[in-house]
Amino acid sequence: MNELIYTVAFYIFAAITVAAAFGVVTKSNLVHSALLLALCFIGVSGLYVLLQADFLAAVQILIYNGAIAIVFVLGTMLTRRSSRHGTNDTEVNIPSRVVTLVSGLFVVVTLGVIATTPWHYSSGVIVEDTPSLLAQLILTDYMVVMEAAAVLLLAAMIGAIVLAKGVEE
Amino acid sequence: MNIALLTSEIAVVILALLIIVFDLLMPRQEARRSLGYFAVCGLLGILVYTFNQHGASATVYHGFFVVDKFALFFKQLFIVATILTLLFSFDYIEGLTHNTGEFYALLLLSLVGMMVMASANDLLTVFVGLELMTIIFYILVGFDLRSSKSSEAGTKYLILGSAASAVLLYGMSWVYGFTGSIVLSEIAAHITASPAMLLGLGLMLAGFCFKMSIVPFHMWAPDVYEGAPIPVTAMLAMASKAAGVAVLLRVFLVAFADLQAYWLTIVSLLAGLSMIVGIIVAIWQTNTKRMLAYSSIAQAGYILSGLLAADAAGVKGMLFYAVLYMVANVGAFAVTTAVNNQYGSDKIDDLSGLSQKSPFLAVVMTVSLLSMAGLPPMAGFVGKMYIFMAITDKGYFWIAMLGLVMSMVSVYYYMLVVKVMYSKEAKNQQEFTASVSLRIVALISLIATLFIGIYPGPLAELANAAARSLW
Amino acid sequence: MIGLVHFLTVAAIVFAIGLYGVLSKRTIVGILMSIELMLNAVNINLIAFSRFITPEVLTGQIFAIFTITVAAAEVAVGMAMIFRVYYDRNTVHAARLDEMRW
Repeated sequence: MNELIYTVAFYIFAAITVAAAFGVVTKSNLVHSALLLALCFIGVSGLYVLLQADFLAAVQILIYNGAIAIVFVLGTMLTRRSSRHGTNDTEVNIPSRVVTLVSGLFVVVTLGVIATTPWHYSSGVIVEDTPSLLAQLILTDYMVVMEAAAVLLLAAMIGAIVLAKGVEE
Repeated sequence: MNIALLTSEIAVVILALLIIVFDLLMPRQEARRSLGYFAVCGLLGILVYTFNQHGASATVYHGFFVVDKFALFFKQLFIVATILTLLFSFDYIEGLTHNTGEFYALLLLSLVGMMVMASANDLLTVFVGLELMTIIFYILVGFDLRSSKSSEAGTKYLILGSAASAVLLYGMSWVYGFTGSIVLSEIAAHITASPAMLLGLGLMLAGFCFKMSIVPFHMWAPDVYEGAPIPVTAMLAMASKAAGVAVLLRVFLVAFADLQAYWLTIVSLLAGLSMIVGIIVAIWQTNTKRMLAYSSIAQAGYILSGLLAADAAGVKGMLFYAVLYMVANVGAFAVTTAVNNQYGSDKIDDLSGLSQKSPFLAVVMTVSLLSMAGLPPMAGFVGKMYIFMAITDKGYFWIAMLGLVMSMVSVYYYMLVVKVMYSKEAKNQQEFTASVSLRIVALISLIATLFIGIYPGPLAELANAAARSLW
Repeated sequence: MIGLVHFLTVAAIVFAIGLYGVLSKRTIVGILMSIELMLNAVNINLIAFSRFITPEVLTGQIFAIFTITVAAAEVAVGMAMIFRVYYDRNTVHAARLDEMRW
């Protein structure tokens, strides 16, 4: 029974993710794309729950939906022109068939790789209490990376302010 | 655990934070020149300190961050490049923006990113260091708020760079998934030639080649180099590229050494293509920065070809070349800055008559360009020789031959620039001025290029020691 | 039975969709969105590997946390850059970025 629920949930979330992602790149209105992007992020966080990464699922909703999707909507609103139709057209100069072919080929190759690779599955115990273990690892083993990421956020903030503020006359 | 190993990185971060604070405290109208001097002095102190770390070969926490001779070599290269870049660009930066303090601080923070990359011993640290450096460069490339070229260059770099990062990251995820680890030495222990591993390796190679602007992942370089402010272009060409080399070397020679049979052929093709495209297309350029961009693509090809040897001799050649390329570029960009300060543009034509107006700068430019072309007795000749000897030993004679032919061709277009400086009449009779610090940097570049070319022993010794610490 | 392979397949499809978007979209905002899709695909990959290959050490989850951090920084800078382009040219079409050509 549990197995069935898990399977059904996986297919629902996978379908949401893929369909929304497809919508993001095919919709011709940027606002629609941004909202579909948010939906896609929700689908992905559902997949994280199924993978027992509950903390990551929460982070995904908070950061991607709460911050990144909102920034995209904001950016779209601030940079749109009078007509809102055709704000996110697909390139016509590049032959779109070639691009489709390249992307399709990429999927086929990757699926082939997934199918033929002998994965080393681990039979280890799955960690239940992920937040505390994550916190411990980040503040010990991965300390250098954490500090570097903090510096990165500071620098990105300074830079974004300088760029967006513009020239003072 | 040994936090002391992080001292130099922490010091640079503190220096950057101090500059931000001082920038806020200083009165609005006051010139920010003092902040620049402060940054240079601070970096000099840190440079001296890094010599203290020599001989150490230790890691912070489970091998995630390693300080060895290889890492130190690159860190010192980055710091020297930053110091020289700051020195020759004081005037330029003050004319560029009112946000001078932020500019210096961001430049220093990107230096931190490079230093983290040089020491990174696992894929996660590699990735975060790389992004720290690259994201700051997106900002710096677009820093000239009055120029639409600058924002165009910044946007192009951001889009292509982020896409390349995503590809690199996807590759890393496959490598991690197959080997179950992100630490380079453990990856090496679990590696086998499975499809997932090869896919990951290919994607990662593409990502790194983008950062080093290797053909066919070079399309961003000319536009970004042309649109960016000159000091940023200089840092992109010298330090960012060297950081890419540092990471590439460590990842491919430590983690992927067992799969050599698969990546050597691809690397040889990429290196050959870069030499050809970089040098042929450069001939038609009319903008100095764009010409230097194509030249940097070719130089990246030369540096990458050293990887074909996959032994200490090849790595030594690459490290040696990275240094002499940095030294030569400092000279070329310093002269470009001086000319830009004078005329406000960077056309090759603007160099005309430089030999009468400022004979010294004309000589510096000539020596730098000829060093990149690889003419003796300049340093470039020795560097090319080291690399070609190392790869000929391993049977890549054709790459060495191609490199030789291409450097002959490159002499032609470098000579075109020299001809403009020496035989064309100056556009006007305006007095040519260049600041003292810029002249000092140009002098350092000149002396270093000739010194390394005539007496390569000491640097080769250093490079050799650094290369050996990888094994 | 849903296993590693299923999650990797979803990730591969999302990544390819993102790749398609990067190559074919005309506005800079659209391209940035596609890049976010690619990064999300990477995160699915990482977390799936973390669950099935190294469940006891969570390496993949930590990697994903940093990917999300970097993505957020990238979007912030990207949006600021888009505002600059918009001020300069009153458009966010990638094809209008054509001042420099070889």
